[in-house]
Amino acid sequence: MTAVVALVLAGMYTYLKPTHDRNEALYNKKAILSAVQNHLDSDLSKMSNDQIQEIFDAQIVQKVVNMKGEEVSREDVLALGYKGGMAENIDMKKEVKRNVADQILPVFLFAKDDGTQFYILYTRGKGLWDEIWGNIAFEDDLNTIAGVSFDHVQETPGLGAEIKDNAAWARQFVGKKVYDEDGSFRSVLVRKGGARDPVYEVDGISGATITADGVSEMLSRGLQYYEPYLKSIKG
Amino acid sequence: MDLVNIFIKSAFIENLALAYFLGMCSYLAVSKTVKTAFGLGLAVIFVLGITMPINWVINTWLLGENGIFATDLTFLRLILFIAVIASMVQLVEMVVEKFSPALYSSLGIFLPLITVNCAILGGSLFMVSKEYNFSESVAFGLGGGFGWFLAIIAIAAIREKIRYSNVPPALRGLGMAFILTGLMGMAFMSLMGIDPAAFK
Amino acid sequence: MAETTVVAKQESPIKFGKKERKLITDPLNDNNPITVQVLGICSALAVTTGMRNAVVMSIAVVFVCLFSNITTSILRTRIPKQVRMIVQLVIIATLVTIVELTLKAVDFESYKALSVFIGLIITNCIIMGRLEAFAMGNKPYESALDGLGNGIGYGLILIVVAFFRELFGKGSLFDYKIIGHTGEYLINTQTSWLFGWYEHNNLMVLFPSAMFVIGIVIWVHRAWNPKLVDIS
Repeated sequence: MTAVVALVLAGMYTYLKPTHDRNEALYNKKAILSAVQNHLDSDLSKMSNDQIQEIFDAQIVQKVVNMKGEEVSREDVLALGYKGGMAENIDMKKEVKRNVADQILPVFLFAKDDGTQFYILYTRGKGLWDEIWGNIAFEDDLNTIAGVSFDHVQETPGLGAEIKDNAAWARQFVGKKVYDEDGSFRSVLVRKGGARDPVYEVDGISGATITADGVSEMLSRGLQYYEPYLKSIKG
Repeated sequence: MDLVNIFIKSAFIENLALAYFLGMCSYLAVSKTVKTAFGLGLAVIFVLGITMPINWVINTWLLGENGIFATDLTFLRLILFIAVIASMVQLVEMVVEKFSPALYSSLGIFLPLITVNCAILGGSLFMVSKEYNFSESVAFGLGGGFGWFLAIIAIAAIREKIRYSNVPPALRGLGMAFILTGLMGMAFMSLMGIDPAAFK
Repeated sequence: MAETTVVAKQESPIKFGKKERKLITDPLNDNNPITVQVLGICSALAVTTGMRNAVVMSIAVVFVCLFSNITTSILRTRIPKQVRMIVQLVIIATLVTIVELTLKAVDFESYKALSVFIGLIITNCIIMGRLEAFAMGNKPYESALDGLGNGIGYGLILIVVAFFRELFGKGSLFDYKIIGHTGEYLINTQTSWLFGWYEHNNLMVLFPSAMFVIGIVIWVHRAWNPKLVDIS
């Protein structure tokens, strides 16, 4: 009986595996695109899977960079064991466990129809219960945030999970800046009790201080990883 | 992560019973008196402490891509985990019966119940999603069991007392137990803010 | 699906008389799995933050409950008494894995939202409880009805609890905004049309409130059906 059961399940697993992988990939693509939701023609949540795939294929250019800001070739990404070798294939959950200096980072360039470009960067940190992560979209100046999308493993529904569920909270990030006037890195702080600075701070979520602090920490650390790369394209 | 840290965290902050509400069926059914609750609580610590490391070994060495079959067999995870839990419970039952009849007579009837206690399977699944290593999974198992033990003792004590209170008839017993658990859950939520690193 | 045809052959003609109807209606009221038998509480608490999750979970449980009852009932004479627990668990675990794999392919967002709780259907005591109490001693057709009834009875409570939690916690149903104002910090920012003054009670979305809501459901149920009152 056990053999029959195992066979049935194995068959089903093999049969459904491509669909699972496709769903997983689409889920990630949707998260990446939702960071630039404001600049899409229609509402992302109402789009079909094919439409999402189409936008992703047509308007996104993927790059992989390392901690020194150099672009990493596809072969090198493949050598690290990420099948496909593109930025979307990198398993960031594995990647953040490696030595910081050796980590590679995905960069997604989103081009609007009128030619404006957005840089979508990835960052990962810790919330209250488990990991949280986010895609942060930057405008052309590589300083102003154009949009964010956060996700989490299991933050408390209604409290920490608001970072994902509450669109209004995420919208606060639009227009915030991460560099001050001198060009030194400052990041965006999630401030408990309400933002005190119009440019570098956003309101916290009441009852979810630890998750919010996690977001602050993740932004300041994760975006700093990209600094060498951002400097190199700014010239 | 520090092991003590994980122990404290899983016992108090991420309490299986009062923060995740796992193992509620036996929690509500066997918490009428402190004595029986004590027995079940001990049995849960026991089984969680044993199955967690075994399931860790199975998950890492048998099912993982780096395991002996070198393929991704994770779709068999649920079946193997539950089989391990069921057989461990039976094994523990036999061992305890042979070597400590006194403990068996106090634990005996609760052991089979534990198989369907979702705190056990839930603990194993959480262990997988949190990617603990071997020693961490032992600490997580013991801590989780201890937390569950504390929770069931606490509710049993309250239920013993509340029998003398004037509760509306329709709410008596089960209904009140639910509301009490909810209140205890709220109390445990206040522990969420603790930084487990402080216990180092 | 092969099982159903087998059932039809063994049990023809299939009756649907008073006794059969009772098998289905009993778990909805007098013998409800959650409020009376106190089985399957864990998942009832965790997945009732929104209607969508509750409905998906209910369907999954009805499916597992129905087919595990049928399978166990067919195999009941061949299962040795000593290993019946493990055999039952293997049957349940297989069905749950099928549900998990299917859900992951069909509705990935729900799969993400329900995460470990799909796996925990295995230890949902209601399923195990029905196998022990009913399917081990009854014919496949009756077992199927019993499984269906209990699955639905369970789903019913799940949906009732989710209804109150989502409505008062988020002011929405199926993520569609119903009541409350549309200021900042709302999950949905579509315009609402009822009770604009209502402030969402975030406690309703948190775990403990599931306990309160089920406690109140039990209270109402027993006040309405006094023969269920717990005398102990």
